[in-house]
Amino acid sequence: MEEKLSEASRRATPSPIQQLSHLAQRVGAVNLAEGFPDFPAPAHVKAAATAAIAADLNQYRHVQGICDVLAETMKRDHGLRVDPLTDFAICCGQSEAFAAAIFAIIDPGDEVLLFDPAYETYQTCIELARGVPVYVPLDPPSWTLNEDKFLKSFTSRTKAVILNSPHNPTGKVFSKEELLVISKACRKMDCFAITDEVYEYITYDENKHISLASLPGMQERTIITSSLSKTYSVTGWRIGWACAVANIAAAIRNIHVKLTDSAPAPFQEAALIALTSTPDYYESLKTDYAVRRNFILQLLKNYGLHISFEPQGSVFVFAELPKSWQISDIDFVTNLINNAGVAAVPGRGFFHTDSDDQSYHHRYVRFAFCKSDETLKAAAQKMMKPAESNGRVLHDTAQSS
Amino acid sequence: MNLATSATTTTTTPRHGLMPLNPSSSSAASSLRRPLFASLRKISPLTPMASAPASASAALSTAASADNGAAKPAEKQPVQVAKRLEKFKTTIFTQMSMLAVKHGAINLGQGFPNFDGPDFVKEAAIKAISAGKNQYARGYGVPELNSAVAERFLKDSGLQVDPDKEVTVTSGCTEAIAATILGLINPGDEVILFAPFYDSYEATLSMAGADVKAITLRPPDFAVPLEELKAAVSKNTRAIMINTPHNPTGKMFTREELEFIADLCKENDVLLFADEVYDKLAFEADHISMASIPGMYERTVTMNSLGKTFSLTGWKIGWAIAPPHLTWGVRQAHSFLTFATSTPMQSAAAAALRAPESYFEELKRDYGAKKALLVDGLKAAGFIVYPSSGTYFVMVDHTPFGFDNDVEFCEYLIREVGVVAIPPSVFYLNPEDGKNLVRFTFCKDDDTLRAAVDRMKAKLRKK
Repeated sequence: MEEKLSEASRRATPSPIQQLSHLAQRVGAVNLAEGFPDFPAPAHVKAAATAAIAADLNQYRHVQGICDVLAETMKRDHGLRVDPLTDFAICCGQSEAFAAAIFAIIDPGDEVLLFDPAYETYQTCIELARGVPVYVPLDPPSWTLNEDKFLKSFTSRTKAVILNSPHNPTGKVFSKEELLVISKACRKMDCFAITDEVYEYITYDENKHISLASLPGMQERTIITSSLSKTYSVTGWRIGWACAVANIAAAIRNIHVKLTDSAPAPFQEAALIALTSTPDYYESLKTDYAVRRNFILQLLKNYGLHISFEPQGSVFVFAELPKSWQISDIDFVTNLINNAGVAAVPGRGFFHTDSDDQSYHHRYVRFAFCKSDETLKAAAQKMMKPAESNGRVLHDTAQSS
Repeated sequence: MNLATSATTTTTTPRHGLMPLNPSSSSAASSLRRPLFASLRKISPLTPMASAPASASAALSTAASADNGAAKPAEKQPVQVAKRLEKFKTTIFTQMSMLAVKHGAINLGQGFPNFDGPDFVKEAAIKAISAGKNQYARGYGVPELNSAVAERFLKDSGLQVDPDKEVTVTSGCTEAIAATILGLINPGDEVILFAPFYDSYEATLSMAGADVKAITLRPPDFAVPLEELKAAVSKNTRAIMINTPHNPTGKMFTREELEFIADLCKENDVLLFADEVYDKLAFEADHISMASIPGMYERTVTMNSLGKTFSLTGWKIGWAIAPPHLTWGVRQAHSFLTFATSTPMQSAAAAALRAPESYFEELKRDYGAKKALLVDGLKAAGFIVYPSSGTYFVMVDHTPFGFDNDVEFCEYLIREVGVVAIPPSVFYLNPEDGKNLVRFTFCKDDDTLRAAVDRMKAKLRKK
């Protein structure tokens, strides 16, 4: 009965991230692959959730307070004035907010611009809605926006631009200048922008997260999506949101209601506590992640990997295999798992463009550093000896698992 | 302890503040609905869509979004939203709930309990959160929940399924439905529904571009019109959707009906999507899963959830059980709809499903008593009450009170009597089919049920 599967689902293939993850699990590798923390969520947030459950806040719920708090924060941090009563949809994670936004605005044949490399989920979502993903490559080594390539990617069918900043997998934070280029194009071509801002509170050095919607002429056409997951280390709670002008938000809500109806009630309650964390929470989040970032950068450099671009935000490093290493990203990672007992993600799964020069598509590996000190130290231990000149670890330095 | 009291919503407004989008059907009906919508918050009309079944934007005035200081004037619509939204009506639940709050009415409309779930399940969730089970779960479900679902299904249906290959955990049964439809239905596929139907079916099918046909179930017993169904099914039919026990009628599909439908599916190579969320609320008959009918497992997706059985509707834990080749499609869609389901609740759900039989027996007894309370009260108040075999809903006929249609009656019921019920005409492709009917729920504590019954007995007058 396999012929009964929808065309859309048949196009979708299992995630390469997940496959290597299974291998990593089998050998008990230190997991620097998947982008979720292995340290506990903040105590005050967990306590809020358990209290909500105990207080019988367990039926279908829409916690309007979340929208109120988000509106306040958006005004304070980005100068955005949004209406908490009309401009939000609370969803099961940013994943669902994004899916609902796509289904709300994309008709069959509509084109959607994405910057490459890109988180793999966006494309399949767009295709499920029968939209057409169009990739605009960012230029290595610093993943800069190439204005020319970007503008040339627009057609009369372009409906939306997807902007993920801070960016997975590169850790890039789009600059004000780049955002201006994007905003000008969106206004000129009269299209939507959908942002994925899940790493909004995780930026480094002088890099500041700027919300695209705060640029001139953008609020009316931008759908902001974000979530609790990365900011509060609760990726398993599934609390996210979409924010857009009232009629667009209404459309997204109506789709969302048919997809899942509502987000988990007790975690909505806990979101109120999380979202009103004091400033020192966010400061220590940044500081702690900066320490981890620096640790892993050192680790990787010692190992022999080339850091052509240090992450400006997010929890990822997109490390480059030195040109002298005659090894592909997949082989490198497989070897790293099997022989060093450390897992990472081969970069090729994030690239989609058929560019002239695709050689760099197989030269990157993504490492996640949203991991506990123990985990990072264990990884350092296992990768203490630099890789051989061909990028391989020849002997087994892994602890027996 | 009540968290963030100023910030939380009232318990009678669980669904989102949805804005009226495209109320369905004829202009006669939309003018009747006008008073209902008039009391709701207004939004900008969407860019008019040529083939919308009812251009509802006429009923709505222009936007409140001018409140947004940075935005351009509300009338400017720079971009058009997707055409698929034509079919997305705002939910009747929200409209009714908002009116209920405004009038202080007792809410027997919205189908969720005003009492809470069992302590042992809540404690399991609290334990899971405190123990740190707060990161992404395996996409298709935490292993212990998949196992618990499989074990429960074996007890209930006699079918043994592989928890890893044939069970997919979703954010509620609503998402199981969405993932099943988006994963298995192609644009142009014909899908047959039974009206009245839960409102997400038609909307989600239209998202998938399906061609929807409905077979109407009629009072007094809402039996499946077998010959009509047979005439409707052909080799062009891709799937049939059933909901048993059935919301809103309380009907339970009989073995004869299931076997008849099964024969049609087998003859015409049709898939079967079964929404069985109320399977533990089966009072007058035994619940039968279509998947257990000979020859049907290989073509059936069985969907269920935690919420109704354990009075934890807000946790959003559901699942789909299907053979591997159908599960694959469901999982493809699921992984791009929500990616994973709430982790700590999954652990708690596993504990819930392993509850002893006494839990389920007590559930039935308690609900059975509530049903008797409500049904007796509705009869005494003057409604024609149709027998409900399962779910926590009862369908009644309101015509003794002299109103032309369900929406009018329900508005009156809220304003003058102080009780909320749901006008079920929105659950039909042709709303005329539902205009004499009203749906009440009895998933409320006894005091609430008694108070509602008292109000109706006191204030309703037959014409």
